[in-house]
Amino acid sequence: MRRSDRRISNLVLFLSLAGFLSFLSACGGGNNSNSNSNPPPPPSGNTEAISVNFGPAGNYVNGLFASVTVCDPGSSACQTIPNVLVDTGSEGLRVLSSALTLGNLPSVDVGGNPLQECVSFADGSYLWGPVVTADVQLAGETASSVPIQIISASPAVPAPSSCNSGGGTNSNTVAALGANGILGVGNFRHDCGTACTASSTAVPNVYFTCPNSSCSVTSADLTSQVQNPVWLLPSDNNGVLISLPSVPASGAVSASGSLIFGVGTQSDNMPGASQQLYTTDGSGNIQTTYAGTAYTSFIDSGSNAMYFLDHSTLGITECSDAAGFYCPSSTQSYTVTNTGQNGTSSSAMFNIANADTLFSANGGNDAALVDLGGDSGTSPSTDYFDFGIPFFYGRNVFVGINGTAGPGGITTPYWIY
Amino acid sequence: MRKIILGLLAGCAILPVSGWAVLGQYQNSITLDQQRMHGSVKEMARQGYSIQKIVAPDGAVVREYVNPDGVVFGVAWQAPTLPNLEQLLGDYFIEFQQAARSSKRRGGPLVVRTRDLIVASGGHMRWFQGRAIALKSLPKNVSQEVVR
Repeated sequence: MRRSDRRISNLVLFLSLAGFLSFLSACGGGNNSNSNSNPPPPPSGNTEAISVNFGPAGNYVNGLFASVTVCDPGSSACQTIPNVLVDTGSEGLRVLSSALTLGNLPSVDVGGNPLQECVSFADGSYLWGPVVTADVQLAGETASSVPIQIISASPAVPAPSSCNSGGGTNSNTVAALGANGILGVGNFRHDCGTACTASSTAVPNVYFTCPNSSCSVTSADLTSQVQNPVWLLPSDNNGVLISLPSVPASGAVSASGSLIFGVGTQSDNMPGASQQLYTTDGSGNIQTTYAGTAYTSFIDSGSNAMYFLDHSTLGITECSDAAGFYCPSSTQSYTVTNTGQNGTSSSAMFNIANADTLFSANGGNDAALVDLGGDSGTSPSTDYFDFGIPFFYGRNVFVGINGTAGPGGITTPYWIY
Repeated sequence: MRKIILGLLAGCAILPVSGWAVLGQYQNSITLDQQRMHGSVKEMARQGYSIQKIVAPDGAVVREYVNPDGVVFGVAWQAPTLPNLEQLLGDYFIEFQQAARSSKRRGGPLVVRTRDLIVASGGHMRWFQGRAIALKSLPKNVSQEVVR
């Protein structure tokens, strides 16, 4: 009842805002050219514009960005945050404190203390800061009272030492993160899940409370954890579709596409007849076979290249001045077979070009590089396939959220492409 | 003395442990840390080395590779959250951290090769895996590939 009231009031607000904006434009005299600090017109429906570009730090190759609007829960005090990284490899919205002007987002408390989180990413970077609740507007829909993380530029309590144990950096600035935040729209509803709840026998170093400036690990129930905001939308909440255009092999300055909410819920998010559904395992992984060997694999819009195998195994040259990227003397083609837990199997082909050439082409102005690849590890024993942004170019890729109803009533996590 | 301890470990097969061994240090470093992992350990003898496999209740699996001198020459992990690499890598952590900086790689794994250290650490939220090898402690007749 209350929720529907809020939706109606949001609708009224939206309509009156839309009316007010059209009134403003009808008045004429508005100069759009100096309004670049204003957000774009309110998006509608279930489609959000996304763009691959260098991002707010100006150096993020293959960075996929969207604008996200956050509001004080239940209020019209809102802020649109541009340049938020769209990440299918994680769950939850995380925003730099420096990008947030809303002052009083309510904290999520555990045992009477504000909940803090340390989240680590594969590249070793970590994010530290409090969990707060906000209404999150995605396209024309609003997820109410979503736990999100604020990435603290100057935290009230420093990150615990265990937070720094991945070997990477504290990504609490635009320069370090390369974005104003991360919108995690992966295969799960919660960022940690049952492993971080009180039922777990070994709660990992993820959630903390810090009474008297001394932090200790705490459990956090599912409703307190940072959550994928998509599953909290009133509709179109069972996953997302990322649609990006093809880009030339030589690269492109940018690429514009759509982040569409829902899988098979609207005419604009129906999987194509030729597309297949690949269920993942409990961690969000599928399997990729290359040259007769099966590797763990996953699809991740938060990875900015195809990170697969390693240069020794592939017999490919590693770049001398861009460590970790491949620099073959001529473009190499790879054909692999992807297999879901459900046995769905098909081949995928991609090319890897010289990263140095890609980075310097067009005066170094190309952010969208389809043929970019690099090492996933150091030997086949622990190598894997990380299908990053290059995989998304020229495809419609659907992410199915665990515990929601997808095509055919499926409730386990899956990909469709 | 060490042989006696190994024999005990092998005989017991599964013991409760409270910590991890540390790369480049003696395997009894496993007992130095009293705070971690509430897991169980299983010791497996191999040709020229041994493996200690630790399984934690959250599904984290850590394998430690011990040379005949009792020094940990390799560590491999697979876990739902990124393990404490500072703890696993010990004195090698700083070398790893300094080498780990890479400019344009984003969201991908950390891959480090120096003269005496190999580390690959990657995955994604809910699935982290990797391995580290201290090359100077690697037994002569043992391949790096065993660390997995």
